[in-house]
Amino acid sequence: MAAAIETKKLTKSYKSKAHGMVDVVSDLDLHVEEGEIFGFLGPNGAGKTTTIKMLLSIIEQTSGEGYVLGHELGDVEVHKVISYVPERPYYYEYMTGMEILKFYGSLFGITDTARMDMLLEKVNLHRDKTKTISQFSKGMQQRIGLAQALLNDPKLLFLDEPTGGLDPIAHREIRDLILGFREEGRTVFISSHELSEVELICDRVAIINHGVIARQGKLTELLKGGRVELSVTGVDKGILSGMSIGDGNIHDTPGGILFDVPEEADINSIIDGVRANKGSVLSVVPRKKRLEDLFVETVTAK
Amino acid sequence: MFKPIIAIAKATVGEAIRRRVLLIILFVAVILLFVAPLLGVLSARQEKTVLTGFVLGIVQLSSAVIAITLTVYMLPNEVERRTIYTILSKPVQRYQFLVGKYLGAVAALALMMGLMACVTLLEFGIIQHDWPKGVELLQGISMFFVQMSLLASVAMCLSTFVAPLVNFFLSGGIYLIGTLGYAFFDSFNKNPNAPVYSKALAWFVSTILPNFASYNVQNKLINPEVQIQNPLQYSINAVVYGGFYIAIMLIAGMLIFDRKEV
Repeated sequence: MAAAIETKKLTKSYKSKAHGMVDVVSDLDLHVEEGEIFGFLGPNGAGKTTTIKMLLSIIEQTSGEGYVLGHELGDVEVHKVISYVPERPYYYEYMTGMEILKFYGSLFGITDTARMDMLLEKVNLHRDKTKTISQFSKGMQQRIGLAQALLNDPKLLFLDEPTGGLDPIAHREIRDLILGFREEGRTVFISSHELSEVELICDRVAIINHGVIARQGKLTELLKGGRVELSVTGVDKGILSGMSIGDGNIHDTPGGILFDVPEEADINSIIDGVRANKGSVLSVVPRKKRLEDLFVETVTAK
Repeated sequence: MFKPIIAIAKATVGEAIRRRVLLIILFVAVILLFVAPLLGVLSARQEKTVLTGFVLGIVQLSSAVIAITLTVYMLPNEVERRTIYTILSKPVQRYQFLVGKYLGAVAALALMMGLMACVTLLEFGIIQHDWPKGVELLQGISMFFVQMSLLASVAMCLSTFVAPLVNFFLSGGIYLIGTLGYAFFDSFNKNPNAPVYSKALAWFVSTILPNFASYNVQNKLINPEVQIQNPLQYSINAVVYGGFYIAIMLIAGMLIFDRKEV
């Protein structure tokens, strides 16, 4: 699959009075494939927004190289086929939803009002198109942001904290829209702190910490290593300790015995073993590794 | 090339004419223009002379405050509110953004000064029954408009690298020196007996800083006996000078803004 974004040793340094040259982003090797939803995660000040600004050619990299949809960083031509919705976006408050679309459309030379109507309908703002932005809720502002971002039918969308500060209903609306973008074949690059949201919608993620990519890959692979807890009763612990449970553990509990085993362990053979010894399986609870666990583990690692 | 500039300029006008602080300044200026005839009556000097001077003073001062207030926050606000990122992530070059903002500021200034000009014309035409004087004042206000456009370009250029509050006082200071002190520094510069360091300062002020004084037409309008030999040529020269200086300010602003980390 072709790369929508590819960076090689991308670095951004700033002069600091106290520390001299400081790398905000250092030797960033990023690979985002076309048509995927990519989560770009990191704690505050990790270098997420600086990276996005470099990818959008709003700021210039200090060293390294990068390509967005095959265009070298700095080539404004690519702006015709990409879009960006910043964190907590501000739009001219006196404008109505329709006027916002007309304004951003005019930056591309787009005057097709039928398309603008269609976009307002897509983000469920068609009934509010005559309201001014000052009358919009946060969720509506985020949705008009997405509508303006779709004006040029972009192949790649950059969304900075798209669900930040929104209520659960607005969360779901934005999430559904983003999932719809993938179905339409667009690539979505999301920078977010909402890890549960990212886990639900992203195909691959990268975790940046102190300006360096600490983890990058498919979510399914990064989240491997979950555990399964089996609660059993009516059997002797000594008999069970002979079973093959890898790096699993066996604990006594008030109600019986608890197996804590890796998710790749042969759960069926453990269950068979328990039953063969006249025991009962009370519960089998998979403890999936969460993105939050991976994130905390990554950013706190020394 | 021009479509994004026009779109940005239009949006800037829309925002500018809704900014409360500018509307308050404009409102105060219009009220003062309406009460100006009362002050003329109180004066010991010729009533119309005082009125003319007062009206032009109000228009000039309020326009200068509007021009500076309008432009010093323009770029910093766009960065702070992140509007600039959504715009620059579109096929818009930074110079187009800067020019669009400037043209929007000048258009908003034109609307506000146009309102003050209308009030002035009505005041002299209807209240004072002196339409010719009113029309003459409009010519003076149009020279002020060029002056304010020049001031806005200075403030806009400075806003690419100076904080808004500093810019407010810096632009105001440049305006004051360029308006009140220009002739003094110019004569000092041409004086062969002046000390070298004083001459250097005088040269800097009279050569580098814009000559706002050439747009001050109050003297001729207040005292008709003061004559400019060729008024048309004078006006053309002043407008060409203003246009040239504005172009230099905008190019300098573009060069700085192009390298600025936003």
